[in-house]
Amino acid sequence: MRSYIQSMMSNLLLDLRLYRRLIAMQLRAQLQYKMNVFIDIATYLSVTGLEFVPVLIYFGSFPSLLGWKVGEVALLFAITSMSFGLAELFGAGIDGFDETIRRGEFDRVLLRPAGALLQVVSSDIRLRRLGRITEGLLIFVLALGLLPGFSWTPLKLLVLPLGIVSGALVFIAILLLGATLCFWTVETTEITNILTYGGRELLSYPLTIYNQGLQRFFLFLVPLAFGTYIPTCYLLGRPLPFGLPGALAFGAPLVALAFALIAGATWRFGVHRYQSTGS
Amino acid sequence: MLRFYLEVARTAYRRQLIYRWANLAGLLTNIFFGAILSYVMIALFHARPVAAGYNVRDVLRYIWLVQAMVMIVLTFGWYDLMLTIRSGEVVSDLSKPCDFYWYWFSREMGRSAYYLLFRGLPTYLAGMLLFGFGVPGEWKAWLAYAASLPLAAMLGIAYRFLFNIVAFWILEARAVGTLATTIALFFSGSYVPLSFFPSWLHAIAAWLPFNGLMNVPAQIFLGKLVGGALLIELGRQVFWLVALTIGVRSLASVAARRVIVQGG
Repeated sequence: MRSYIQSMMSNLLLDLRLYRRLIAMQLRAQLQYKMNVFIDIATYLSVTGLEFVPVLIYFGSFPSLLGWKVGEVALLFAITSMSFGLAELFGAGIDGFDETIRRGEFDRVLLRPAGALLQVVSSDIRLRRLGRITEGLLIFVLALGLLPGFSWTPLKLLVLPLGIVSGALVFIAILLLGATLCFWTVETTEITNILTYGGRELLSYPLTIYNQGLQRFFLFLVPLAFGTYIPTCYLLGRPLPFGLPGALAFGAPLVALAFALIAGATWRFGVHRYQSTGS
Repeated sequence: MLRFYLEVARTAYRRQLIYRWANLAGLLTNIFFGAILSYVMIALFHARPVAAGYNVRDVLRYIWLVQAMVMIVLTFGWYDLMLTIRSGEVVSDLSKPCDFYWYWFSREMGRSAYYLLFRGLPTYLAGMLLFGFGVPGEWKAWLAYAASLPLAAMLGIAYRFLFNIVAFWILEARAVGTLATTIALFFSGSYVPLSFFPSWLHAIAAWLPFNGLMNVPAQIFLGKLVGGALLIELGRQVFWLVALTIGVRSLASVAARRVIVQGG
């Protein structure tokens, strides 16, 4: 038993080292064109920034969104943006997986002496996605400025990063489920986009404005709200829907991990079922 | 020659018919986003019944009209022309015995007709079923809308053409395209109706070409533009359409004269 755990740990370490090297390779390649990367990040920052401006415009005409003030919505928007930005940055390889399948390149991946998932994840990192993370950070600072009564506690400082990382993990797990679907459909399906881009849009606003079906869906089925809405409510001292306890914010990593493990198991099932494509 | 362009448009229309599943998925996306925005607006209107001259029914109609029109007027991520410039295929289009601009224009008009029937109508109908906001009944508004929507579609084609031919000068022009589309979406009132803008920003937006892409047809549809104001807005739409078309056509001819073929 002990040696089993030991070998598992050493395998994990090997994987991590390989991941670091492959990603470093990607970074060096992209940074060959520094100007391009910079323009891409700036563009993406402007694009995502323009997506936030509507929130400010709405609050010019309306005092609150079902009791949420502008600073509170901005805080939620920022946390969702950072989560999603992290997922876009590190999940780029999974996101582009349909291309790998279509070209028949996945056969080559399977032949190499390393885990298929590791290779897919480390095949790409999109630096321009830093634009969205920057946007999230800027809105976060703005939100704190708009919330004069807000005070930090050690527990809040813990909940914030736990939430952002958990949210990113759930977003990446959705991408992985979408990639798994490619084993059967070859094309990426727009359904994945509805859950990622649509999920980001939906969770940028307080969950309670939606109908109960949607609320339940994003709490219990695809638990994106655990990475975004629930931690934000904890920071703001707001009650959760369905009488859920506020301390649930600390459970976000567990929920995210469970969802990711399910996605991982589905992926492995898909890999075993894989029949080659390409021409 | 007109028969040729009509045939190009018909071919483009028929080509779209093949992507049945992609269209269905896109339709679901439009419906999902329409629903999210509707919930946001319904929640906002809890605080007051009327804002910027809109009640909640007006604003729901507006949101779903935007979702219904967006593929006709302002397709996000349309890089078809840009890709032919990158691959070098553009040379074969340039040497066709027809006008380069009107060739793409006809193709896009065919595609727009497809999206009007198979994306726009179903999206708006889905919104009506989900949120029960109905359609405006004024026949004059419908008539004006029927004039304004094609103008908007043509304006959208000229604008898409503009940020696509940037690829003649910059090879990786996708970032330019993304930014150009986002700016257009914002200033056309696709994110927030222009009436909600602060007055100084609204005044600027009214004079930009993007006003005619979404805001003008949508205002007409809602029955908020009548009489003299309607004529002024239609006039601005026509003005920008002519100006932009002449502009991009001359830019395209400059580009074509100094074209260096890529690919091989």
